[in-house]
This record gives sequence, structure tokens and C-alpha cells, in this order.
Amino acid sequence: MTGVRGGIAAAWTLALALAVPAAPAAAQTLAIEGGTVHPVSGPSYTGTVVVRDGVIEAAGPDVAAPRGVEVIDARGLHVYPGLFNAWTVLGLVEIDSVPATLDQAELGDTPHLLAVEGVHPATEIIPVTRETGITHALAAPSGGPWAGQASVILLDGWTVEEMEVEKSVGVVLEWPSLATREFDFSTFSVREKKFSEAKRDYDRTVGEIGDWIEAARQYDHARSNAGSAVAVEQDHALEAVATVARGELPLLVVADRARAIRDAVAFAEEHGLRLVVASGRDAAKEADLLAEKKVPVILNSVQALPVEEDDPYDGPFSAPGELHRAGVPIAFGTFDASSARVLPYEAATAVAFGLAPEAALRALTLGAAEILGLDDRLGSIDAGKWANLIVTDGDPLEVRTGVRHVIVRGRDVDLANRHSRSYELYRGRPAPP
Amino acid sequence: MEVIATTGRALRLAGVALFVTVPLIAGPPPEPPPFYAIEGVRVEVGDGTVLERATVVIENGTITAVAEDAAIPAHAWVIDGEGLTVFPGLIDAMGSLPQPRRPPGGPGGGAPAPGGQRRRPDTDRALPRGPEDRPLTTPWKRAADDLTLDADAVEAWRKAGVTSIAAKPGDGLFPGRLSLVRLGVPGRDPEHQVIAPELAQVASLSSGGGFGSYPGALMGRVAYFRQLLLDAAHYAAATAAYEADPSGWRRPDFDRTLAPLAAVASGEERILLPGSSAVEINRALRLGEELDLDFAVYGGQEAYRLAAELADAGVAVLVDLDWPEPLPERDRDPDADRPLREILHERLAPTTPVELAEAGVQFALSSGGGNGPDDFLAGVRRAIEGGLEPARALRALTRDAAAIHGLDDRVGTVAAGMAADLVLADGYPWQESARIEAVFIDGVRYAVSDGQDAEDQGDDGGSEETAAESTSGAEAAEEAEEPEEPRRRGGGPRGPGGPRGGSSEAPEPMRLADVAERYAELAGDAPVPMTGPYREDDVLAITGATILTMAGETIENGTVVVRDGRIARVASGVRPPRGAHVIDARGRYLMPGIFDAHSHISTAGGVNEGSLAVTAMARIEDVVDPTDVAIYRALAGGVTTVNILHGSANPIGGQNQVLKLRWGQDADGLRFDGAPPGIKFALGENPKRSRSFGPGPRRYPATRMGVLDVIREAFTEAAEYRDAWARHRAAEAAGERSRPPARDLQHEALVEILAGERLVHAHSYRADEILQLLRLAEELGFRIATLQHVLEGYRVADEIAAHGAGASTFSDWWAYKVEAYEAIPHNAALMADRGVLVSVNSDDAEEMRHLNHEAAKAVKWGGLSDDAALALVTINPARQFGIEDRIGSIEVGKDADLVIYDRHPLSSYAVVQTTLVDGKVYFDRELDRLRREQLAALEQSLTEPADEDGGEEP
Repeated sequence: MTGVRGGIAAAWTLALALAVPAAPAAAQTLAIEGGTVHPVSGPSYTGTVVVRDGVIEAAGPDVAAPRGVEVIDARGLHVYPGLFNAWTVLGLVEIDSVPATLDQAELGDTPHLLAVEGVHPATEIIPVTRETGITHALAAPSGGPWAGQASVILLDGWTVEEMEVEKSVGVVLEWPSLATREFDFSTFSVREKKFSEAKRDYDRTVGEIGDWIEAARQYDHARSNAGSAVAVEQDHALEAVATVARGELPLLVVADRARAIRDAVAFAEEHGLRLVVASGRDAAKEADLLAEKKVPVILNSVQALPVEEDDPYDGPFSAPGELHRAGVPIAFGTFDASSARVLPYEAATAVAFGLAPEAALRALTLGAAEILGLDDRLGSIDAGKWANLIVTDGDPLEVRTGVRHVIVRGRDVDLANRHSRSYELYRGRPAPP
Repeated sequence: MEVIATTGRALRLAGVALFVTVPLIAGPPPEPPPFYAIEGVRVEVGDGTVLERATVVIENGTITAVAEDAAIPAHAWVIDGEGLTVFPGLIDAMGSLPQPRRPPGGPGGGAPAPGGQRRRPDTDRALPRGPEDRPLTTPWKRAADDLTLDADAVEAWRKAGVTSIAAKPGDGLFPGRLSLVRLGVPGRDPEHQVIAPELAQVASLSSGGGFGSYPGALMGRVAYFRQLLLDAAHYAAATAAYEADPSGWRRPDFDRTLAPLAAVASGEERILLPGSSAVEINRALRLGEELDLDFAVYGGQEAYRLAAELADAGVAVLVDLDWPEPLPERDRDPDADRPLREILHERLAPTTPVELAEAGVQFALSSGGGNGPDDFLAGVRRAIEGGLEPARALRALTRDAAAIHGLDDRVGTVAAGMAADLVLADGYPWQESARIEAVFIDGVRYAVSDGQDAEDQGDDGGSEETAAESTSGAEAAEEAEEPEEPRRRGGGPRGPGGPRGGSSEAPEPMRLADVAERYAELAGDAPVPMTGPYREDDVLAITGATILTMAGETIENGTVVVRDGRIARVASGVRPPRGAHVIDARGRYLMPGIFDAHSHISTAGGVNEGSLAVTAMARIEDVVDPTDVAIYRALAGGVTTVNILHGSANPIGGQNQVLKLRWGQDADGLRFDGAPPGIKFALGENPKRSRSFGPGPRRYPATRMGVLDVIREAFTEAAEYRDAWARHRAAEAAGERSRPPARDLQHEALVEILAGERLVHAHSYRADEILQLLRLAEELGFRIATLQHVLEGYRVADEIAAHGAGASTFSDWWAYKVEAYEAIPHNAALMADRGVLVSVNSDDAEEMRHLNHEAAKAVKWGGLSDDAALALVTINPARQFGIEDRIGSIEVGKDADLVIYDRHPLSSYAVVQTTLVDGKVYFDRELDRLRREQLAALEQSLTEPADEDGGEEP
């Protein structure tokens, strides 16, 4: 089994000696019995969760394990829905400083590209990420402004096909920044730009984004009304934007500063688009607007520095709570690959600074699934949903909590990974002579 | 002379008709006889005294009498001074000569330097690769060496009442000597305009020669400053020793760079040190005192915070009049959140002169070299708005400027015997209403009929009616090509009408005391100090806490008593002493303050002097920025001590500095006295790639082999240096004739390592490079104190333990580069299990805010006990630095560096409630909330339209 992926891994990985990846598990029928179940969709209870064919068959206080199935004894343990890292570059980035391992940022405007088509299923980072209870993640392209489409993947599978939850959950647009200071690589120095000049550049770029939407509408119109004599050439990029223009997919706008968030909200309203804000470092400053317009936010790392010198020291820590209290739907992301595993601890910081614990858990599970339109499959422990579950010995947001089982699409996944194997190997190193 | 003058006049008359097409070859016009008497005039002497009615007699460029009954020589031209005042001519205490703009690279693009040969011509853009290349160092230069002046600009200054400029010779780290130059007519007898060619040397610490060149960072420039003066002193001593007895010795080579700096090094010649912000002024004071220099500080805009210190030190200040101002409305980002300190500084800066005056600091005023006369005068007016008495402003602009430059025996006052550099006007020259009647420079009279507005001068060439109106032919030709050459920056708030009308957007100045008063008013009953500490008590007790002592026990319901900053008692269930300030910590956890063993916060001007492979002479201590808000944010994360390291761009980097986060104190106040000195080493990708990209030069090493070689070679040289000194001392002791080796600060730092007096903190990743460094250190005879990052330390933990190095690692960072791809979060625990003394650090201003949570990861990954995990960020780093007798645990006698959490600090939900350093409260969550509101109120009162201020215009 290892050979299947070992060959691929050998082509790029730099530490062959340890390349013994965890084998994806086969779908099982199993019952998790006697644990405290936190379904997120309702109150917690002590009971059993039955999993068959990758789906939760039954869950409840009175559910019994069917005879003959594999049983996980969860007495004294806790069962949660698997955590959803709602923004990563998992599978697209391996080693940040090695360009050959980077596949997240294409050149130019590429709204039609699908993240999942670049995801490397054998990345060493995915098994490491699972270890803290994360079972699925959004993988996002960057660049642009039109970066491509974000995909949601399971954090286990022999192939990307097996990992796919949804090829596209939205088109990623990196909102332009109005920068009065630019770093000039040719001179390695910061260049100051006049505000009026920066504003002009910004307005032009925003205008161009609007032009894309209008062009996509026209394209749609022409394609659907073209007579047999008229050939409207297919354009993948416009087709992708058209899905957003038609409201089929949300526009996932990566924006941090308050101005960008305000302008993106106005833009989406003007063009009649569904909007999700991603990153949103200043989102709490626009909480009322976001709540009024019902725009959800996928938050970047909570453990971040305040943007401005005079911002409260704990601004980024308390922002999730502020957004939640204002009524803005939130989810958490880490916006990277190698630190994707710390997602629950980032959320814990939000709790420490005012987010209700149940709101944090919801944002990590069902809330994120709702924002991305996947709550029919993911996010809670309810019959019929995909069996992405974790069994822990405590609160999964606490660092010291152990995650005992990670179940992805019904498969009880091996928790060993690059790190644990290395640890075991060197722990066993005999003392030097 | 007369003959030539007559010819010149004829040509000049002809030139009037032909001036556009024919380059003038006008000789100077004739001068009237140099005898004047200004009768019945008021005199402001310049030293503060005023003569209400006097006669000022001027003969041959000198004031010969100033008295009510002064006899008027029969040959003197008598000027009626009724209603007018004679002032000393204003002196720009540090500026640039108004020189014509030259086409780059064209003729005259750089005056050939006199003196000896340089290794490179001035125009060579080759980047300096080390101190031996003497980057941007031209101390032999003098501003007076190049007196090609722009006649129009000179005239504009003159019309503003400025009669001389103490001019810089250009830019650079050591550009040369200031010269005091008069603003008479240029082009004729230029040397005649020089009052003194050599006032003082100037030093700058602003940017170096370009990316990748030496010195690239502020700390590198300070180190270069120090080394260069040592070199100059050694040069002088070596030359003197040779001169005294040349027999048997080779003559030291002449060095035109070091020769002029010898007098600075010995304290015989004044040097001007840069210092605009308070941090920079402090740095200048420390540097000047350390090297025992005769120095003054220039810039000085934030000197309002340091008036008392400057007075104590007896250091004069040349205050730059280019006051900070907000951008004009239309250039401002309406979304931009300007820092309060910037808003405050704009209000406070113009009060620097009055603060200095009241504190008794000698000061003068300067244009700084970048601004024209209109801005200069506007700057004076703003200083007066800031509270400076006009008469005191005049003194600063005249007598004191002269005194600071050591020339008050000849210029700067209106008194018999002084040079006749005078302004005759009906008010202070900077006053908008003032009308300047005439300016005398060196006794030559320049009438200023329309002195109010230099703007109008363009089409009114007859404004100065003196016969001395002329330029050389060459200059006239240049001017003809650029008739509309703007003499000062146009547009903005200082457009036409602006300069003399005051800047409409400049906020009303406020003094520090005013700000404090307003803050107190706005804060109401419970004002929280703007900077720490929030409270100080002689005796303080924290009661009811679960005390995680990090000394082997956890005390429930514990009390810690603090006296004079030290822990006086640690026990369970005891009552606080009477009179103690009590912090009720029931239900809370008390832990020693966190020591972050790897940080780069609070440094100014770059963390890497990466231009050279070895920069052991660079010192973090020189560039500590105590105003970095990261300090406060770290306190809010329970950090009380930080090790500030040089970056990892080179195999041997600069010297580190351990700081205590005493937020609000200056750089000296942050220093952890008693922490051992150390240095940064770096292995692997960073030192080998740091110069393989970007526009700068590449430099050795480019491989791990080369990195090791650099370190080995550096210590080989250092050992030879040490031995050379030993031989010298032995010879001296034996009474033999011996020349001292030149001191080398780079070698000295390395010699300290060899002597075990300086700790090595080595940035490292891969197991192999870690091992190689340990072996190299053993070969060279020293021990590595800490391996920093040490991400593959788990693979050679036994070897690290055997060597005795500490390991300071990240909790869980990995995969950001190839050498971090083998990192595992179990690293800390595994190394600890193998007997290595391990700490967890941040290397990051954010990560440092939750090192307690990072420590928890060693419980999750690797199974450390809770106490062993917390030790990673408290007592263990303290041991690694040999300061475990001071910090790292809660024990009697230790510093009261403490942090209170609402939960067990390893919980992901734990939040710091209060942080104490030396028993003083520097952070408190509740006080922070109040302070935020109070600062917001202050900011609002400073930025809202100024109604209660009574408007901005007088």
C-alpha cells in the first residue's frame, strides 16, 4: 500500500528515509459507543453514533451499535463533528521557500482554475493537519485579482477524487488594496505614493472587476441566445465568473482593511452577487454592515497582531466574538498549509477573548459548512451526514487534549504522520557510543 | 579694481538689453565706501539686551561703535534709523549652501577632492564591503571648499534676514566639516564669504550606501562610528609615537580619512551627532559620553522630552525647524488611522525650543539643509507659537548659534568689534508684518526694498538696489537656462501666501504639560498612565493565587509579598503585610514572567547588519527602541524578559541584548543589567543565501562548508589579535618599546567568546550543522550557550546535551523552508527527555504573546509534564542565560517579575490579567481597557475641529 504513494512522494519529497505515509483507510462500518456526543446541531448527549458507507446512519442517546460492527469504545471520551479549516492552501503548498512545491498562485486573472486540480494528495502536511481533529478543509488559490475557485477536500484519500467534497465552493477574488506605500523590488526600498494616485489605481482595478461581471453577463446572454448561425466562442474564464454573476456560486473576496470590506460589500450589492469575505482582519470594524447585509466572514488567524499601532492589543483576539455578537456568520481558517493544524487553538483564543464556546465550535463545524453551502453533508452529527467525526479525551480547542480517533468519510484514519514517525524513530535512537 | 568695476558697469548696462541671448560677462559693480552710521536706531544686541536708541557705526566690515552718543565719522554714510531696529544677522545653525543644481555627471559634477589619492574616486559606485573601505566617509571635506552658489537663492536667504549659514559639506556618514559662510554676493571673492571654514565635524547615522553594502543597518553604522574613532585615535597615537622617535619603525601611512578625525576622537574638536527623536537623542548622548567626545546634537525635534537630560549633560542642540506636519487633506487617506504619537508629536515638536530654553539647554535653530528661507522663517514663527519668547528666538538665531560654533567673539551680536552682519528692519525678520530695510553682510549694505515677498522677485530684478548685485558670467548663463527655477517647494499649504501666512493645517502646538493636563482632565477620576508602569508600590502582595513557582512546587491559596521589586515571601494562606497594596488573585494562577529567548522587537534600523559575513562589532544595545508597541503587547502576553538578537544573515552576527520590558523607560532603562553579554551566530540557509539575491553584491559564504570556514577563520584572527595584545602588554611591562595594536571591536567580541565571557546563541536547523558547530566550538575552545531554533535538535540531542548547549526552539513551526521540513513539534520534549536544557521561544512579535500556549504543545507532543512545559518559557531560558538567580521562578530574593492568569496558563483559554516587572504593574487587563478609552478621548480632543482651542490662527 505504501508503494502506491511512495513512488509519487519520492519524486519530490526531500526526506526519503521517512517517507512512509499513512495509508488512507477503507470505509468501514463502525459504531462509536458511549461517548459524550456533541452534535452541534443540538444539545450534547451520551450515546452512540453509527457509521456506514461513509455516512452517519444513526446517532442518539438510545441508538445501539448494530451487531458485528467495529466498535470504538468512547466511554469517558467526547465525539464531535470533524473540524473544518475553512481556508487553507493544503495540497497546494508544501515548502514555502521552494517554488517548485508551490501551486497556489497562477499568473493573471484565472477565475476558472480549480484548486482541486492542483491539490497534491500525498502532501505530508495533510496527515499532520488531521492530528488535531481537522477532517476537511477549503483549499484556495491566490493571485489574480481573479485567483480561481476554492475547493473543499477531505483530509484523507488515495486520490484527489476520493478527497473531493466539492470541486468549487466559490470564486476567489483578491480585493485590490489601496496602498500608499509600495515595496519596490528593483531598488529594495519602500516607495511612497500619493493618496490620490493610489486611489486612482484602486478605483481602476475595482472598475475592471466590475467589467468582468458585466462581460460575463453579456457572455451568458449571448451564449444562451445565440442562433445557430452565430458562434460565440467558449470562454472558460467568463463562464466561471458567470456562475458568480448568476448567483450560483458565492464570490469569495479576500479582503482585510475596512475600506476593502465596505467596498466589496457595496460591489456585491451593486452587481447582485452572493458574497463571502475571507481573511477580514478589520471585519469587526464593519460588523454592523456585514450583519445587515448578511455577509459571512471566514476569518484569518486569530492569533495575529493588531493592524494599527493604536488598535487594542487584543483586537484580533476579540474580533470573532464581536462579529458573532453582531450577528455575522463566521468560520475560521488559517490561510496556510503547515500551520493548518493549529486551527482549534486559534479558535480557542477567540473564546478566551469573548466568543461563546458553543459559537466557536459551531464556527469550526456546522457554521463553516453553512457558509460554504455544504451543511447538507458536513458540520454536525446527524443521520445522513457524512461521517467526519473526531473522538477526543476533552475539549478539542485545548492544546493538551488528545485526539484519539479521526474519522473521515467513515474511515478511522491512521493518526501517524511525518512528525510522529520521526519522533518515534529518534526517540529510539540509541545513546551514541 | 576700480577700472575693472567701471568696465563691468558698462557691460552690465549693455547686458540689461541683451540678458536673454548674450551670456553676461559682467564684472562686479563698484562698491560704495564701506562706512555707515545708523542713527537713532533701536538695537537688539542678540544676547537678550536692547538699546532703545543708539547709533551703530560700521567701518570696513566691522562694527566700530554701538552707543547712544557714538560719534559719527565724517566719512560715514548716515542712515536714519527712526522706527527701525538693528538685529544681528540670523544664522542658520546647520544648513546647506544654496548651490546651483548641477547636471549629474557633467562638468562641476563634483569638485575634485584635494589631498591624497583614494583607493576609489568619489564617483565610483562600487559598494563598500567593510569598514576598511570607509563608506561615505569624507572628513577632509569642508563646505567652504565649494563656494559655487546660486545667486537667486542666496538673495532669497538674505532677504529673509539670514546673513550666514553653518553649512554641511554634503551627505554621508562622515561628510566632513561644517563651514560658516556669509550670504553676500557670490561669484566675487567667494573665499571672502567664509567666516570659518572648519566649525565641527558632522556625523550621520542615516542610510548607508545602498542595499547590501556596508554598513547596511543602523547598528552597523553605530559600530562603524565607534570603530572609526578608535582607528583615528590609534592613527594619531601611532603617528605621534613615530614622530617622537622614528628610529627603527616604519612610518605609519598617511591617512587623510583618519587624520582629521583624530581631534574628534581626542575630544579636541566638536562633532555634531544626529538626534531628532528622543530615542536618537538618547543614543547620541550615550555615544558621545561613551567615547568622551565634545559633541552637540542636531535635529532635536523630540528634545521636548529630554530637556532635563540635555541640560544635565550640558549638550547643545541644533534644532531643525522643519516641523512635522500632517499631510494636506487631499493627500490624506480618509481611512488611515494615524498613530496618536504622531498626532501628539506634531503638536509637541514646536515646543522643543521653549522647553530647551526653560531647562537651560544651549540651542540654536537650523533649516536642516532641506528647506528654503521661507520655511525657515515659518519654522521660527511656529517655535514662537509653541511658546518661545521672540527675544529668545533671536538669541538662538544669532548669539547662541555663534556660540555653539565657537564664533561668538566675532558674529552673532550687535556690539563694537563684531563683524557687521546685521539686519535693519522694523520688526523681527520672521514677523509677517516686518519690513526689512537693509541687510549688512560683512559691512556691505544690501537694501531690501520689498523684503516681504521673495515670490515677487522674479520679474522685479531691481528689488535690491545695491551695487553689489551681480553674478559671475557662468552663473548668469546657467540661470538664463533655468529662469523659473523654483526656490522652494511649491503648492501645498505653503503655496503663495502660505509661508508667511502660517500653515493653515498645522495644529496648535501644545507643551508636554498641556498634554498631561488635558489627559488628566479627560481621564477623570481614574487616570491610567499613558505609558507604564501602571502602578508602583514599595510593598505589594498578591493573595489567594495558585502559585506555579517553577521551583518544584505549586502552592494553593498562596501569597507572594513583594518589597522593593523583589520577592520577599512566598507562602500559603498568609496575610499580606500592613500597608501593602493587595492584588486579590483568588481563583487565579500566578506564574513567573515569561522569558522569550529569541526576539527582534524593539530594534530600530534593521535587525541584520548582513553586509559582512562577520559583524561581531554590531550591538543591539545601540539600537534598542523603547517606544515599540510590541513591548506593551508582549507584556499583555505575560512576557517580562526578552533576548533581542541580531538577525541570521551572517555566520557571525551582532551582539544581543537582554531586556526587561519596563514599558515607558528609555533604552537604558530596559536593559537587563546582569544578563551576560552574547552574540548571534547563524548556520544554514540564511547566512548562505542572504546575499545570493537582490541588487547588492554576493558574498561568501554560499555553502554550509563556507559558513563553518568563516567562523573558524574569524576565531583564528581573533586569537592572533588577542596574542598580539598580550605580546604588546608583556613588552610594555618589560619596559620595552612596543607599539599597541589597533583596537578592533569585531575581534574583541570574539576574544570575549574565547575567554568564556560572551555567550553564543547559534541559529541552526539541521542536525549535521548543529553537530559541526558544536565540534568547531570544541576545537576552538568555547561552548555554545544556546542553539536557536535547533529544529533538528531531536536527532542529535545526546550530542547537544554532552556539549552542554541549551536549545531554544519553536513549538510547532515547520515546512516554511527546506531546513525546516524535518521539524517536529515533539522537538522540545524529546530534547528535554535526553537531558538538554530546552526553552521555547517566539522569534515573532505575535507568537511571543502566547508562549504559555506554545509551551502546552510540548505536553501534547512529547508528553512533558505541565511543570516541565511551563519551565520551557520561564526557568529554563533563565538557566540558559545564567540569570536563574534573578528570574524564572517565584522564590524569595528573585525579581518580582510575575504574571497572573485567569486559568492555568497551559489552558488555551488562559488570559493574562496582570503583568509585573520588578514588582511594578506594567500591564493590567482592566487598566488597559480604561487606558484605551482615555487615549481615545485624548486623540479625539486633538483631532476634532479646534473650537475650544480658540482656533488655530492667532
